[in-house]
Amino acid sequence: MTELGNIALWIALLIGLWGSAVAFMAGRTRRADLGRSAERSIFAMWGLLVIASAALMHALLTHDFNVEFVAAYTSRNLPVVYTWSAFYAGQKGSLLLWALVVTSFGSIALLTNRGKYKDLTPYVAGTIAVIAVFFIATMVFAANPFERLGFTPPDGRGLNPQLQNPGMVFHPPMLYLGYTSISIPFAFAVAALVSGKLDTGWLHAIRRWTLLSWLFLSCGIILGMWWAYVELGWGGYWAWDPVENASFLPWLTMTAFLHSVMIQEKRGMLKKWNIALVVGSFLLSIFGTFLTRSGVISSVHSFSQSNVGYFFLVALVLFAVSGFGLLWWRWPMLKAEVQLESMVSREAAFLYNNMILILIALVVFVLTLWPIISEAVRGTKVTVGPPVFDLVNVKLGLLLLLLTGIGPLIAWRRASLANLRRQFLWPTAAMLVTALALAAIRMSYAYAVVAYALGAFVTVTVVQEFVRGVGARHRLHGEALPLAFVRLVGRNRRRYGGYVVHLGIVMLFAAFAGLAFKKETEVTLKPGQSVDVRSPYGWTYHLTHQGISQYSELNRFVTAASMDVTKDGKYLGTMKAEKRQYLDSMGQPTAEPATEVAIRSDAREDLYIVFAGAVQGTEQAVYKIVINPLVWWVWYGGMVLAFGGLITLWPTAQGPTPASRRRAEPAGYVAHVGA
Amino acid sequence: MWRTSAPSLLALALAASGLAAQAPTAQDSVLSRQLKARPADSLGRLAVPEAAGRAVRPVTPRDNAALVVALERKIRCTCGCNQDVYTCRTTDFTCTTSPAMHQLVLARLDSGMTEAQVLDAFQKQYGEMVLMSPPKRGFNLVIYVLPIVGLGVGLGLVVGVVKRWATASPPAPPEDAAAPEAGTATPEEIEQLKRALEKFEA
Repeated sequence: MTELGNIALWIALLIGLWGSAVAFMAGRTRRADLGRSAERSIFAMWGLLVIASAALMHALLTHDFNVEFVAAYTSRNLPVVYTWSAFYAGQKGSLLLWALVVTSFGSIALLTNRGKYKDLTPYVAGTIAVIAVFFIATMVFAANPFERLGFTPPDGRGLNPQLQNPGMVFHPPMLYLGYTSISIPFAFAVAALVSGKLDTGWLHAIRRWTLLSWLFLSCGIILGMWWAYVELGWGGYWAWDPVENASFLPWLTMTAFLHSVMIQEKRGMLKKWNIALVVGSFLLSIFGTFLTRSGVISSVHSFSQSNVGYFFLVALVLFAVSGFGLLWWRWPMLKAEVQLESMVSREAAFLYNNMILILIALVVFVLTLWPIISEAVRGTKVTVGPPVFDLVNVKLGLLLLLLTGIGPLIAWRRASLANLRRQFLWPTAAMLVTALALAAIRMSYAYAVVAYALGAFVTVTVVQEFVRGVGARHRLHGEALPLAFVRLVGRNRRRYGGYVVHLGIVMLFAAFAGLAFKKETEVTLKPGQSVDVRSPYGWTYHLTHQGISQYSELNRFVTAASMDVTKDGKYLGTMKAEKRQYLDSMGQPTAEPATEVAIRSDAREDLYIVFAGAVQGTEQAVYKIVINPLVWWVWYGGMVLAFGGLITLWPTAQGPTPASRRRAEPAGYVAHVGA
Repeated sequence: MWRTSAPSLLALALAASGLAAQAPTAQDSVLSRQLKARPADSLGRLAVPEAAGRAVRPVTPRDNAALVVALERKIRCTCGCNQDVYTCRTTDFTCTTSPAMHQLVLARLDSGMTEAQVLDAFQKQYGEMVLMSPPKRGFNLVIYVLPIVGLGVGLGLVVGVVKRWATASPPAPPEDAAAPEAGTATPEEIEQLKRALEKFEA
């Protein structure tokens, strides 16, 4: 079966090379037969990569330890769900997943746009083929998942214990889906640049893809935060680790694009900027993989490192030169149709929003690479830890939160004083009341006060929009309020979905601000001994160490330390924190014991207990106890954000806005004109 | 809402579905045999102490003193974990580097060094890389001024572009200047708007 997979990869590579060449020839010569051949090449590559993926999955599930990848990431006693997720736990498998997803998305994009965008389609197919060829070539020449060992070990090394967590089953595929789906907007941008069809037509084609990509990235990042929080045991969810930053960077540029594209659709402005953002987002998705897989900056995430980093570096340079080179070539054709009239307008607010998002991206990019830059320039490697990232990004983030409230309410073109008064009176009042209330209860952290005040500002802007919209429908159509609400959102999904996303962002900021009130301590307790921990809300947790038990469970040997917990005298239950010694199928330990934290969570705070270890092999335990306010809001803020994204993404019969449709050339876009 | 271990729930689900049955379980492991042969005794000694990780020593109030924690948050653990000494020693219990660096911090404070002197001593010993934030001097200043310069340049660009465009384009009335205040529309205007909206939505 693995031979079949290997052969499938080689054939996919050859077909991809053919598809890349004929696609661009089809675009240039306008030969329909070549165009069809290029499209079929993508479908064929997809089919072959499905075969290769099935072969790898078969090898994993049948424990074919003669395959190096299978031996390196699984063992006989690894639970099936993690044997399945081992497909993308290692570098070679994740490359195969990338290639598979790129060709899957490429095939869907080509099928759903059949008959439309005829000038663009061949170049779209060509670009997708080039990207897929890059991934397949990297596998075939540098990281073949079907590579065999010279011997067959009786068992594999097993999966890293930290990856044996439900978060790891979903987090990596979500991020891969986010990264790879950016390839489609990039392919359309390249097609628009090469073909010279630079109206808003290509933007209509990629709108869903950009939203989808943003949604996947958002979910992937939030799931990654959850995994870090429950698995790594340091009591936080974001550490500005290079790999975390690698996923955050394209999210920032995609968020900027989702805002600035509205200006192009509505006003025909920012054409160069939007193409640059799409190209930049794609490059950052490749950069993310380069950072993860090259080990260029040491990271806890670089579980597997090899020379594929060089392949990615070369690809990064080639894609950057091609993308920005094409933009430079078409620069004169990308003039704005109208010009900005006032610094107090929605267009200007979106420009400020883009500026802050890109500035945050630039700062995170430079800080992430600073150890390498410093080493190259001064010969001295330095560390850029969370304090530096926080120093800068807290302020920029708060500025962005302010703009989140301002942007949607301010008038297009030029806002009048009357507009400003009408739109911002209640939000500003809510902001001031919140700030004063927090000052009155002596909240001591200035940034937290600002964050909550701005959160109130944004929340009221969103609520006000819903209230006014529902009220207008109720008055105009005589609809009952719930029906008016449903129809308001249903008929303006992009706008109101966006508002829901903004509410999710407010929840996330509220959670981040809660970190200012985090409390942590370490204690040593004998069975029966207790410790009191005071919450930032004023109540006291009384924790009593019950003892340590040891037992076997699945593929591990567990040492569990239990604590009885009361809050202000009320019994809450027993919390159990563990050390897990993972075992191979011979019953031998595979790695050092891993920590499994105990968490009690509600909307106000998390009680987070880590069993640090036993004193001299006795039941006297060392615990790390953390009180983490508002962590719940990260997970639920993430869900609200994803829900808003889904509303925006949900298909609508209307399609692009009339203003945007007018900006798309009629020829070649028959389907849209007819819609 | 309680969460002790999600993977345990997963384990239960797998066990119930029979998916995990094909793999040999940990019941036959060397550690399980050790547990059966020598259960925990009345003195509180664990049957399999090595399964509880590296033996730790009792925590003293000094270990968690505010000055010690603040100082250790500024020093990077050199084990390669990318974390500061405090986070590493209270998180990665397999690491032997961070406890040693913690002892060094305590010893240096005990010798009468100030916070700045302790940081200097670590920097001399390990180089700049041992500091979680690069010193604010020389080439490193770039990362501290970059956001301010970036914000200034960005704002300058936006304002410059808007001004240039504003002078180049003919003045236009504000989008909402002609619009009456909410609630002042006549019934005819409301009816006209309603028809337009219905047409648009259709």
